[in-house]
Amino acid sequence: MPPDYFEEEEFETRFTGKTLRRIAGLLAGHKGTVAAFLVMIAAVSGFDALFTYISKLAIDHGILESNLPYLYRMLAIYGGLTVAQALFVFGFIYTVGILGERIRYELRQKMFNHLQNLSLSYYSRTPVGWIMARVTSDSDRVADLVTWGLLDLTWAATNILTSFAFMLYINWRLALIVILMVPVMAYVATEFRKRILKEYRNVRKINSKITGQFNENITGVRVVKALVREEANAAEFSVLTGEMYKAAYRAAWLSALFLPSVQLISAMAVGFIAWYAGWSFEVAGLTIGGIQAFISYVTFMMWPIQDMARVFAELQHATASAERIFSLLDSVPEVADREGAYDPGSIRGDIEFDHVTFYYEDGVPVLEDFTLKVKQGETIALVGPTGGGKSTIVNLLCRFYEPKKGVIRIGGVDYTRFSLHAIQSRIGVVLQTPHLFSGTIRENLRYGKLDATDEEIERAAKLAGAHEFIMRLEKGYDEPVGEGGNNLSVGQKQLISLTRAILADPEIFVMDEATSSVDTLTESLIQKGMEQMMKGRTSFVIAHRLSTIKRADRILVIEGGKIVEMGTHAELLRQKGKYYHLYTRQFRQEMEEIFDPFGESKPVVQPAD
Amino acid sequence: MSISAASQSYDLKNALTPNRFVGLWRLMTGYHWHYLGATLGVGLAALAKAATSFLLRFFVDNYFQPGPHPYPLAMVASGFVILAAFEGLLSFLSGRLTAQTAEGATRRLRNYLFDHIQRLPFSYHRKMQTGELIQRCTSDVDAVRRFFADQAIGIGRIVLLFVINFVAILQLNVKLGLISIVVIPFVLLTSAFFFKRVSKAYEDFQEQDAVLTTTLQENLTGVRVVKAFARQQYEIQKFERENREKFTRGKKLTLMHSFFWPASDILCGAQTLVGYLVGALMVINGEITIGTYLAYMGLVVYIIWPMRNLGRLIVQTSTGLVSFNRVMEIIKEERESLDEGDYLPQGNLRGEVVFDHVSFHYEDRVDILKDVTFSVRPGEVVALLGSTGSGKTTLVNLLPRFYDPTEGRILLDGVDITRYPRRYLRQQIGIVEQEPFLFSRSILENITYGIGREVPMEEVEAAARAAAIHDVIMSFPRGYHTLVGEKGVTLSGGQKQRVAIARTLLKNPRILILDDSTSSVDTETEAEIRAALQELMKGRTTFIIAHRIQSVMEADQILVMDQGRIVQRGKHEDLLAQENGFYRKIYDIQTRIEAELEKEIANAS
Repeated sequence: MPPDYFEEEEFETRFTGKTLRRIAGLLAGHKGTVAAFLVMIAAVSGFDALFTYISKLAIDHGILESNLPYLYRMLAIYGGLTVAQALFVFGFIYTVGILGERIRYELRQKMFNHLQNLSLSYYSRTPVGWIMARVTSDSDRVADLVTWGLLDLTWAATNILTSFAFMLYINWRLALIVILMVPVMAYVATEFRKRILKEYRNVRKINSKITGQFNENITGVRVVKALVREEANAAEFSVLTGEMYKAAYRAAWLSALFLPSVQLISAMAVGFIAWYAGWSFEVAGLTIGGIQAFISYVTFMMWPIQDMARVFAELQHATASAERIFSLLDSVPEVADREGAYDPGSIRGDIEFDHVTFYYEDGVPVLEDFTLKVKQGETIALVGPTGGGKSTIVNLLCRFYEPKKGVIRIGGVDYTRFSLHAIQSRIGVVLQTPHLFSGTIRENLRYGKLDATDEEIERAAKLAGAHEFIMRLEKGYDEPVGEGGNNLSVGQKQLISLTRAILADPEIFVMDEATSSVDTLTESLIQKGMEQMMKGRTSFVIAHRLSTIKRADRILVIEGGKIVEMGTHAELLRQKGKYYHLYTRQFRQEMEEIFDPFGESKPVVQPAD
Repeated sequence: MSISAASQSYDLKNALTPNRFVGLWRLMTGYHWHYLGATLGVGLAALAKAATSFLLRFFVDNYFQPGPHPYPLAMVASGFVILAAFEGLLSFLSGRLTAQTAEGATRRLRNYLFDHIQRLPFSYHRKMQTGELIQRCTSDVDAVRRFFADQAIGIGRIVLLFVINFVAILQLNVKLGLISIVVIPFVLLTSAFFFKRVSKAYEDFQEQDAVLTTTLQENLTGVRVVKAFARQQYEIQKFERENREKFTRGKKLTLMHSFFWPASDILCGAQTLVGYLVGALMVINGEITIGTYLAYMGLVVYIIWPMRNLGRLIVQTSTGLVSFNRVMEIIKEERESLDEGDYLPQGNLRGEVVFDHVSFHYEDRVDILKDVTFSVRPGEVVALLGSTGSGKTTLVNLLPRFYDPTEGRILLDGVDITRYPRRYLRQQIGIVEQEPFLFSRSILENITYGIGREVPMEEVEAAARAAAIHDVIMSFPRGYHTLVGEKGVTLSGGQKQRVAIARTLLKNPRILILDDSTSSVDTETEAEIRAALQELMKGRTTFIIAHRIQSVMEADQILVMDQGRIVQRGKHEDLLAQENGFYRKIYDIQTRIEAELEKEIANAS
């Protein structure tokens, strides 16, 4: 995968019929609504042209002929139409606005639902930020296109057509000449729009760089000060803001030139009308009302045209957004239920890795020909260096990934014959960096068992040793944990995460032990909780703490995707191999932490006596 | 037009005034004429637009009767084009000037904030959250920019359009003029009423947007937990709930819009209709000409319709003002000077340091350091041993004057430290932290960061070799030009530290501060780092912040710290001899651990 694959580029795409059809498909379920708002906007737009024509009639036959009843009638119609138009305006804003929200809602939900089915491999190669942008800004852009974009186009087209129709009716010769300005205007407007959009994209890009600079300089302020780098930094930053100035200035003056240019074209048409009218008054007779109508049609014509230009310019971006959304929706989960997958009712039983090979990237094997048999109820500790393959073993066991070669059997059955839900709902996993969701502690615990009663939750918390600290919190179980659980310490999060797993009452228990040291008290609590958990359950622990390692029935030293040493604690120590080195180093470190008179928490064991 | 250097360096502290509008005006210093020019341009453009209506009147009244015309027809026709060109040119120029003002003033504001923040004292950075600061420097600054670019000029445009067109209509006919403004207070009231509510509804909407984003983000980052508990269905329901709430709030916002626009349409339409009627009757009664009537129809549009936007502009202005305040709160803070100080030695320090009854506390007045006294001869190594929070880090922070002592004094080569300019001190002091902050630049740039001179590549490589990091760097695909961070390589803590060591070697300071407080480094690299540090310490007065006996044994002087005080001092042997001391305790523990380990292994075999 090229490294810049996920760069947040707003690339332009060619109009592909397929994508456009798919975008149009978003409206499939809302045909009635779409038809309704299209009719309403067409009416609003047609009324605008009609108003001008009514004014013309009022001038020519009402005012100039001093026909008061006719004038009143015209103005009454004008008033009536104003009210009717207002009703339509209400109608279309309401329908299109709500349809927009509805489509946004549907797009987001569709993507979110699909995301839930995608495999971990998708997540490991796709940055969260990229996915977020699809669900938020891209869905907004596409929804805007199919609602407001469509509306604007309809409005503009109707407006141009009806105006043209009235002009033809008033004076077809003049109308045919005047209409020639439309393509010119459209061309100028589209060119401007494209350039302006490009400049603003540039501005956004520089802007994110500026934010990045602020971020670095503030978080790294200590280094900046220590190295007296202030002047050089300010100079570098000034170059960046200079670029920003240039880009933003260019975008702004292009925008400032845009409307006057279009306006000038319509002014030329107005000049022409005046000339023609003055000339034809003597020859054939264009009325005063007719001139007024022509001038106002022509002057007004720039708005629909510039609107269309805007929609077309945005169309390119919106199709690009849509393509990214569709690419997300089209990605196929790599791990999915096979045909005829079933729920065996329980996944207790021996676990067997039979000549399993696995790689995340082609040609870079992480596990090679890995074979392991685990008895029901056994506790397996996995130790070894980072990147050795410990997490992969656990990932395969949980069926987050599936073996590329070989078979994993649970209770003698190839586990791909089971449904994913059957396996994952019966494996309890506690991760190294515990992930909590915003909400209260109770809500987070209940994640393990959705229908757990408060008593059950409390019992599990007591078992895990979390109850005490929870009760010390101001609101107890109803204390909010903050975004990502940030109101709690790492140790507390681990206890919550452990309780959650206990509550789920899994048949297989998997734990990725945290390397970061928590205070001694919490540590011993976690240990107790784990012991409870492992009782009678087949357990896999990626272990760092010696107490966990020692307690395991079997210790596996995993390095380079292979089991390099295997046995009980005593056996492995006697070998004086890799495990021995690992153990002695960890022993020193842990003891220092326990006995450290400077430790942040007061030691539980007094070192002096 | 280029922006003069003088105006770019205008001190924005001057914009600190009780009146926010005066403050905003001062923020525009250097662009005042641009801005006035832009406003004038808007006014002239409005005038040209009004003149078009007068030309129409002239045309209709004179060219639709048989008889001689005052001017040739073509002249009148081109009059329309010329007026439009004039109007277009002016609004374009005015747009350019506005952009120069807005972008120029914003650029200066950004530069100023950037520089200001890096020069604010640590006491400020300590209490401000990074996210908050960044938000003020980006989105709040942008709101101020929008104020200059859109709102300030937008309000001006509406007011000028109103005044000019109103005066123009009065010129046509006073009665027509007066009846055409009847509806304006109502339009203003509705739009003010509406936009106040709509901004509230919009806030609610945005709030829910944030909730939804958080829900999504937590789901994505916690995908393993979701899968591990097979909670996909639950997550979908949770997201659906928030998603629906956003939909509901969006609906509410839409509903408000769909009431406002037609309501104001009807108001404005009624006004137009009344004007047309009165005007038409006046034409029929011969009070005004048909040309005047047409001119009136053209002008009145620019009085009524822009008023609908005034409400929006006013609401936006008030958010712009709030942002302005938030930005000015940063500018209000006092910088610490780099160059203030009356003692600037030629050449380098010798490196003699004396702490003379030094105490220190932050604003909360809780003492972090209490009555610390010790002295260090040039080139000596001082080890500070103590727990987190014992005051070690604070003590060394006083040397480069990140903070100044609240009591007592520090003497450097016999001179009070506060008499040295900070710039000089910081150039003389090198800091190597346990896990130093690296910038997302190339490794080369990180090594030469802040050296302040062109460093030849050989010198950089020599420093990297001495810091035992050269081979690591060469193993990266782009060598020294490899980027650090998200877009490049991730360095381990030990590697980062060695980059910092290389940098410090290049900097060649007289006083060195080493942070060596944690012990969880791999054994192989530990030896390399130790060797690199030994190299670095040669001939420099060195302060080591340490946690373990091994790192301090060789020191010329060990200061054991606890709760801001020095509780023990001396060399390794002296301290070991003090039976009941802290130091002995630590030492005993370490010996005991080794004994335990042996016992443990013996048990196993």
